[in-house]
Amino acid sequence: MTAKKSLGIDTEEMASRPALGIDTEELASCVSCGLCLPHCPTFRVTGEEWASPRGRISAMRQVQDHGMAVDESFLASMDSCVQCRGCEPACPSGVPFGSMMEATQAELARRRRVDWRRWGFRVLGHRWLLSLLSRSLAVVQRLRLVPSKRLGLPKIPLVQERLRATGNDVWLFTGCVMDAWQRSTHASVKRVVESAGAGVALPSPGAACCGALSLHAGLEDHAHALAARTMKALEGSAPILVDSAGCGAVLKEYGKHLGTPEAVAFSERVMDVHEWLAAQADQLPSVGERRRDVIVAVHDPCHLRHVQRAHQPVADVLSSYVTMVTLDDEGLCCGAGGAYAAMQPELAASIRDRKLEAINRSGADIVASANPGCTIHLANAGVDVRHPLEIVDEAIDYDG
Amino acid sequence: MKFRKADPLMRDLRRVLPSDRVRVAPLERSIMGRDASIFEGGRAGPVCFPISTEEVQGCVDAARRHGRAVVPRGAGTGLAGGAVPLEEPVVVVATKMNRLLSVDADQRVAWVQPGMINLDLSRALAPYGLHYAPDPSSQQVCSLGGNVGTNAGGPHCLALGVTSAHVLAAEVVLMSGESVVLGDADGWTPGLDLRGAYVGSEGMLGITTAIAVRLTRNPPAVETLLLAFDSVDAAAQTVSAVIADGIVPAAIEMMDKNIIWAVENFVGAGFPTDAAAVVIVEVDGLPGGVAAEADRVAELAVERGGSVRRATDDEERALIWKGRKSAFGAIAQIKPNYYLHDTVVPRTRLAEVMNQVYEIVDEHDLQVMNVFHAGDGNLHPLLLYDAREPGIMERVHAAGSAIIEASLAVGGVLSGEHGIGIEKRDFMPLMFSEADLDAQARLRRAFDPEEMANPGKVLPTGASCAEVNALGKVPEGVWG
Amino acid sequence: MAVVGGRTQWEIGGQCPEETRLVRAPAGVRGFDPADMTIRVGAGTPVEELDAALAEAGQRANLPVSPGATVGGVLAVGRDDLHALGRGRLRDALLEVVYVGDDGRLVTAGGPTVKNVSGFDLCRLLAGSLGTLGLLGEVILRTWPRPAAQQWLAGPCDPVELRRSMYWPSSILWDGEITWVHLEGHESDVKSEAELARSLGCEPTDGPPPLPAYRVPTGALEAGQPTGSYLVQIGTGMAYVSEPRPIPGPGPAVVTLHQRLKSEFDPRGRLNPGRDPLAA
Repeated sequence: MTAKKSLGIDTEEMASRPALGIDTEELASCVSCGLCLPHCPTFRVTGEEWASPRGRISAMRQVQDHGMAVDESFLASMDSCVQCRGCEPACPSGVPFGSMMEATQAELARRRRVDWRRWGFRVLGHRWLLSLLSRSLAVVQRLRLVPSKRLGLPKIPLVQERLRATGNDVWLFTGCVMDAWQRSTHASVKRVVESAGAGVALPSPGAACCGALSLHAGLEDHAHALAARTMKALEGSAPILVDSAGCGAVLKEYGKHLGTPEAVAFSERVMDVHEWLAAQADQLPSVGERRRDVIVAVHDPCHLRHVQRAHQPVADVLSSYVTMVTLDDEGLCCGAGGAYAAMQPELAASIRDRKLEAINRSGADIVASANPGCTIHLANAGVDVRHPLEIVDEAIDYDG
Repeated sequence: MKFRKADPLMRDLRRVLPSDRVRVAPLERSIMGRDASIFEGGRAGPVCFPISTEEVQGCVDAARRHGRAVVPRGAGTGLAGGAVPLEEPVVVVATKMNRLLSVDADQRVAWVQPGMINLDLSRALAPYGLHYAPDPSSQQVCSLGGNVGTNAGGPHCLALGVTSAHVLAAEVVLMSGESVVLGDADGWTPGLDLRGAYVGSEGMLGITTAIAVRLTRNPPAVETLLLAFDSVDAAAQTVSAVIADGIVPAAIEMMDKNIIWAVENFVGAGFPTDAAAVVIVEVDGLPGGVAAEADRVAELAVERGGSVRRATDDEERALIWKGRKSAFGAIAQIKPNYYLHDTVVPRTRLAEVMNQVYEIVDEHDLQVMNVFHAGDGNLHPLLLYDAREPGIMERVHAAGSAIIEASLAVGGVLSGEHGIGIEKRDFMPLMFSEADLDAQARLRRAFDPEEMANPGKVLPTGASCAEVNALGKVPEGVWG
Repeated sequence: MAVVGGRTQWEIGGQCPEETRLVRAPAGVRGFDPADMTIRVGAGTPVEELDAALAEAGQRANLPVSPGATVGGVLAVGRDDLHALGRGRLRDALLEVVYVGDDGRLVTAGGPTVKNVSGFDLCRLLAGSLGTLGLLGEVILRTWPRPAAQQWLAGPCDPVELRRSMYWPSSILWDGEITWVHLEGHESDVKSEAELARSLGCEPTDGPPPLPAYRVPTGALEAGQPTGSYLVQIGTGMAYVSEPRPIPGPGPAVVTLHQRLKSEFDPRGRLNPGRDPLAA
């Protein structure tokens, strides 16, 4: 079976561009020790080398260095990657896997003649369009016209409360899908941040999307355009607080992706909201009695743990308000991976099953996760999962 | 070679396994062409992922009918090329057979499937207060089936012995297709120790489908000491002194200056970067003996000019071990490639051979780092290089040969725990006579008369010439 | 042709025909550096002599020290002593062996270091082979420190519970009523573990009970109604019985492997004829 027939790959284009455009030094840096294998969610559930970081790098080398054709099995290997980057902290040689995967995806995107993602992710950049589509989806959901669970969709609210700025001490990055589907989370985050004495500024409409999904799908140009817009909307020098781990990771890497001094300066202002709160721990109000006995397990979003490496503050902030338990799976991915759960439903579900087992073993009542993708994916499996700051918001005794 | 669905071997394999568990795409086969060794030129035939003993038997039967060799593979973390497929054999991968089958805490035995990860087993045993003693540095990823294949060691094998001492029985699929249990999970059965002959046979006697492992009780007391020295000699002499004093610590590990520096940059384990060498000594057991031995070790170190730091809690202990176990990767900060050797020398000759290693490396204008199981005399010189530098491989291989010769000259051996594979196959005659090698070949033939299991490894005899010539990109004569 | 040692276990696994030519292996300590904790000896060395040489350096080998027995004999028969639970298996003591093959050639298996995976592990195969694959000539053994203190205790306690409570007893024996336990190690540890054993109903005693004559796998005890007395060596799979009893036989594939090994290593049946490791 040829790739052309089934995957819409432009084979002529392929022949004229044999390399994947991966940095040669990066590609040479893997020594194949295999220490990444147990930290890769897709290897954990399949046990197959092509679904592991070492196997994927080996495949990239076959194509880039040895001229092997991009075929179905190559695409399967690349597209099955959640891009959680759990392999990066595990790699003793510091192989920049995420960067190589992004380069590969960018190249594959150029070669794919038809890709719904090209059009799908464009929506994310248009707040009015996303809002319109979301509201339609909410109505359709209520009429039970779409199989939301199978599609991995959360219940989308019909009416959203409006957020109002309260100052200029910090920016709260609101994002695209999250703002449209989970604005109540932003509201909780905003209350908690304000309770620490900061006035919160909000981006104007238009700074809608960080570009993460486009970037992971290899749609670099689109991602860069979104980045430019976002940087313009969050000007000044105030810290930019992000309550979505996936967005935070990309915002922190604008400097690397765009390479301009402005982008570097922008990225330096970006903080996960928990990082900021952990530093203001003494400013935070005390806990109301009612939440102390709740047992919470933190599921670290990959882009917080592996990319930002800033998962510890989440536990630090939460631990003053609830009883914490630790999951024993070494922070393995839950399988959400942005649009991954929709693109690779079977693998995503198998990966989630492992996470569910760890959650069951932990005895937690509630799972906290600071990324909308994770919360949606886990909630679809019946887990009571909230944003950590929703739990804090509920636990804070604002009157006391 | 292209495999088509109509290929008779494929047809037979797909009778045994569902098609998604027999992989033939060129890319998937090329990915399976290597393990964690430096050999990249392997060529896999169909890659099979069985999930039961019966399926493994089916794979072997199909391969035999079509005159194909069979290569078993675990996690692919071997460093001697033992899992590198030559001549497009049927590759039987154990990773989907990764379950803990049973635990008998009173009898201290567990049955596991071969694809189970070493560390996952010890994690699963934690609630029982037990663990599986052999702890290779790759234990977070290597499989127990692979451990059986190489008779793997690890830091904590000094007092408790390597894999062979912890395997009670193995269920094995022979190349006849028969399944047989070698050894006895209860501990003893009359007859030859077939189990002992099988452990460490590098996949050349059969395919492991289940393993009965001996479980070890967690020690009630542990002391971990980090000893720092101004010279490698003083460190090596302290190691000898500890052994000579009648102490058998749970582990004695040594790291030299270069690797200390690299590890500190990588994980920050609090190692003294101004020391010429550090030695990690761990003693465990009952509190009285542990305290006395730890005191004595500290004394012996101080007498030889060493400084002593004792881990005050589990966290500090874990950090010290993290530093040790991260060592191999940390070197990537210095050069992109490394070649890791694995010779063993008598413990009294340690200092002498270490000095020779430094001289050899100087002569060949290379960099070396040493991080190794000093208590066993098991050296692990890491030669650092950048493979893109012209002519570098010749120097790396020449230095490697010289290190092996220096080790053998003082009564040492070729490999302490990584195995022979294809890496050291052609060095076997340096250690063994023709008659010695013939005896090993006899063992091989008794199990596998047609030499169908993992051919071309370990034994340098003419018997496997066809496969040797099929090394593909592997440099001829292994060291090129 | 057969090597004769001390004839202390001469009839185990069958008897050599009368016309068998008997030879003796060389005797004596060939090399011993206490700091290496390995010793090289001729296989004909009496175990008592080995033990005395090691004792001077405060060491011992994990070989049963029975009067008259030789190192080679003890290794060829391969029977663990009563301390396999704590000290490990006899077969693991053997690091290197030089043996005479069926064609009269000298063969070296294993290596002199405490850790070695160079080639197949023929040492394990030769330990307990009753000399049927090769005649042991010289061996290198791993040695261990002699413990500072040791103590036997016995009493009517549950052996499984005893094992659960103690950290590292070197031996636990059970005859169906009485449990014997042997402790060794640092003085204060032996003392505290002995206290523990006493709390479970054991009292100090001089030594282990006499061993019933026949060694069987513990599986054989479960198989039939017990007749006569027995002693179970807890945690090792071994038991001793006063009356011979049927032992569950090995499967056909195991028997075939034994036959093939014999015909590869000794195609003409010259080595220790009449003896069969499966019958040991």
